[in-house]
Amino acid sequence: MKKYIMVQRLLISCLAIFSLFWSCKRDVDSLGSPKLSHDPEVFIDGFSSGLNYAAFSNSVVTAFTVDKTNTYNNSTASMKIDVPDLNDPRGAYAGGTYFTSVGRDLSSYNVLSFWAKASKAAEIDVVGFGNDLGLNKYITILNAVKVNTNWQKYYIPIPDASLLKDERGMFFYSEGPENDRGYTLWFDEVKFENLGTLGHLTSGIMESKDVTVSAEIGEKISLSGFQSIINLPNGLNQVVSTSAGFYKFKSSDENVATVDDNGLITVKNQGAALITAISNGSTSKGSLLVKSISALPQPSAPAPIPDKQSSNVLSLFSNKYTNVPVDTWNTHWQFSTAEESFIKIQNDDVIKYKNLNFVGIELVSQTLNVSTMTHFHIDIWTPDNTDLPKSFKILLVDFGPNNAYGGNDDSSHELSFTKPKLATGQWISFDIPLSNFSGLTRKNNLAQLVLSGDLPNVYIDNVYFYKADTQVPDAPTAAPSAPTYPAADVISIYSDSYTNVANSNLNPNWGQSTRVSELNFNNNRVLKFAGLNYQGIQIGSNQNVSNLGFLHLDFWSSNASNLNVYIISPGPVEKPVSLTVPTTGWSSIDIPLSSFAPVDLSKVMQFKFEGNGDIYIDNIYFRR
Amino acid sequence: MTIKTKFILFGLFAFFLASCKTENIQELDQKQWNLVWSDEFTANQTNGIDTTKWTHDIGRGNNGWGNQELEYYTDKKENISLDGKGNLTITARKENFAGASFTSSRIKTQGKFSPKYGKIEARIKCPYGPGVWPAFWMLGTNVDQVGWPTCGEIDIMELKGQEPNVMYGSMHGPGYSAGNSITQRYALINNRFDTNFHTFSIEWNQDKVDYFVDNYLYQRTERSQAKGNWVFDQEFYLILNVAIGGTYVGYVNIDTPFPQTMYIDYVRVYQ
Repeated sequence: MKKYIMVQRLLISCLAIFSLFWSCKRDVDSLGSPKLSHDPEVFIDGFSSGLNYAAFSNSVVTAFTVDKTNTYNNSTASMKIDVPDLNDPRGAYAGGTYFTSVGRDLSSYNVLSFWAKASKAAEIDVVGFGNDLGLNKYITILNAVKVNTNWQKYYIPIPDASLLKDERGMFFYSEGPENDRGYTLWFDEVKFENLGTLGHLTSGIMESKDVTVSAEIGEKISLSGFQSIINLPNGLNQVVSTSAGFYKFKSSDENVATVDDNGLITVKNQGAALITAISNGSTSKGSLLVKSISALPQPSAPAPIPDKQSSNVLSLFSNKYTNVPVDTWNTHWQFSTAEESFIKIQNDDVIKYKNLNFVGIELVSQTLNVSTMTHFHIDIWTPDNTDLPKSFKILLVDFGPNNAYGGNDDSSHELSFTKPKLATGQWISFDIPLSNFSGLTRKNNLAQLVLSGDLPNVYIDNVYFYKADTQVPDAPTAAPSAPTYPAADVISIYSDSYTNVANSNLNPNWGQSTRVSELNFNNNRVLKFAGLNYQGIQIGSNQNVSNLGFLHLDFWSSNASNLNVYIISPGPVEKPVSLTVPTTGWSSIDIPLSSFAPVDLSKVMQFKFEGNGDIYIDNIYFRR
Repeated sequence: MTIKTKFILFGLFAFFLASCKTENIQELDQKQWNLVWSDEFTANQTNGIDTTKWTHDIGRGNNGWGNQELEYYTDKKENISLDGKGNLTITARKENFAGASFTSSRIKTQGKFSPKYGKIEARIKCPYGPGVWPAFWMLGTNVDQVGWPTCGEIDIMELKGQEPNVMYGSMHGPGYSAGNSITQRYALINNRFDTNFHTFSIEWNQDKVDYFVDNYLYQRTERSQAKGNWVFDQEFYLILNVAIGGTYVGYVNIDTPFPQTMYIDYVRVYQ
């Protein structure tokens, strides 16, 4: 499994154990006993003197047993670890620490060595020493330890043995399933040694790289990437992760930034300070250059409020919607420098990222099914320069049917955006069709969102997936376009563009079930016949339209399947003309009056509409 | 010179050639050695190596100096210099140069100083890492006339960087060269040749060559052991170099740490 998950788990586990075993904490008053044991043995053919074992929380507590069959070099016993399958009800992984109640003096050794083999080729997530169920001040970890079915010797160098005069954390391990499956691990001959066959011990901070960050005055930043490098007997270097306790830190300008013994930096004033370290008497590789800045510009107004129906939305972060659980808005993956903070802009929650090179956002513990969604939405705001070729990238990752990282069923796709989509100092709304993420072939287990690019400072809001409204709207959103014929050429019955014939009755009681109402779009009224069976209009007085050519109608319906219009003269004499429904938006028609023969065009007194559905009508007039 | 010109050693009475024992006490014959040539590498740093004593080999030789080696030898100060602390440094670097993937350096006393017989010693801290091949060795001065291996070769120190606790002393001649050379490995049990300085030397006369690490005799090659002609009754010149890759040391690992530096405290020749 990926390292970041494991380390996170380990830390959580250690914390949990810490509280469980609080009673194991040493009584400070009993410190200073003159002679601590120099015993180098941890587990040779059994527990060495004073050694205890505690399983990490959420691990399979019975994972560790003593094995008398599979041993290194035919010795009497070895340590056997049963790593569970995925979803084992007994626990998610195997992990625990071997510790002593009374510290040992390990200052005369330079390495913890052990032999290991496994029932299959695998990578153990974490093996190390210095986990004392307390502060773990001198914790040292070998990550991703490759083991196979042969016994092999492994070395975990002590970064500075002179500090280990009273150490209780002798050995610990943590390992989860490999490709969802458990297996068996053996450790043997676990002991501290002083080996001349190891050489060239060096140390590093910030993964031995020279890193630059911008930080606001008052902000606190933690140094990280503590590592110790040793050359093994085969001439290759090995890197182990270690802790701040092995270092002495220094700031080039205490006025700008200070650094404490735990590697926690506090930014004090404007300027730049180079943070460096010394370990084991030598300067460590890597540094952190802190460039302090006054508070970053931030949006003066919240992002636009989303307008999607909440029933069509799966939201990760928005004040408008109920949000799904998100594991973290910053996975702190290796090499990521991003730092997140949760701020409010006029009461609207916004996430602020600084030093953003890339940031992982995870929904691993409860992946999201977005297969019915059509779009991904995010609003971003940046104070940074967005000139070409600066980019902002969005990566979506789906874990596939196994709902877990790896297993050859993951899919992902990254999209990159540049100017003019990007802009500085204003909210930018992205509404990206999921079909644009063409590599995201599965969408049932969306687990990760990764933001990256060239904008170190990004505020984000309204992160959600949504289903675009593809249904036909059930009502017009505007009136039809206004008629342009001169009033002199028109006898108008119903239109806001002309003076209508006075005293018409738009809803005479002819026994119909149609519900009549009017909509008003910016003072332009539209007639609505809801649930039409039939509907009449009594014209205020008989109209002679025999010298005119056409009846004009604007009509709109999304759900009618039949619609006829009649004009009626006394008798009554009437004649229907069929209109095409449903319509796409407003339909505009000019019906030749000859179509209504044999109606007496010199005495038109009524209209009748007959059909079904909901009909909207406007601009009923006769024209030349 | 203020350096002592007399060194006393104690000859051996009991010595097992094939022994892997690590006894540190040997009783050796008493001999008198007079220093006849040396470079202490204490000269002014800016002047570079002493060209009255050394000359450079430049380039990739023929077929990677006969061994399919990967380096290009230069005389750049990035590859060879004095460190100002009394050492000569030869540094192998991973860099593309003139078609090669690595650069390094190789110097020799050819045409300047070529002893016949004597005690030849250097104090060296080795480089390390898979595929790194440091050497302190000698070739017969007639190499350009008779070729290799007829000219003879004595390797006072060779090391494979993937085994930094093991060094080899070897002798090559007609009928006993390359894989059939007369060779002996010498391993440090709980130490390495790259973490501190060690002395490597031979004592060479008409009858034999004795090989020493830190004054411990670990190999004696006598005239009668040569499976062909004994070609060591002539002048030989000295060579120092760090090779990369090739048939002897094997592949360079992608994780082999670079740059790699051989530190030479001194080279001394006594007769």
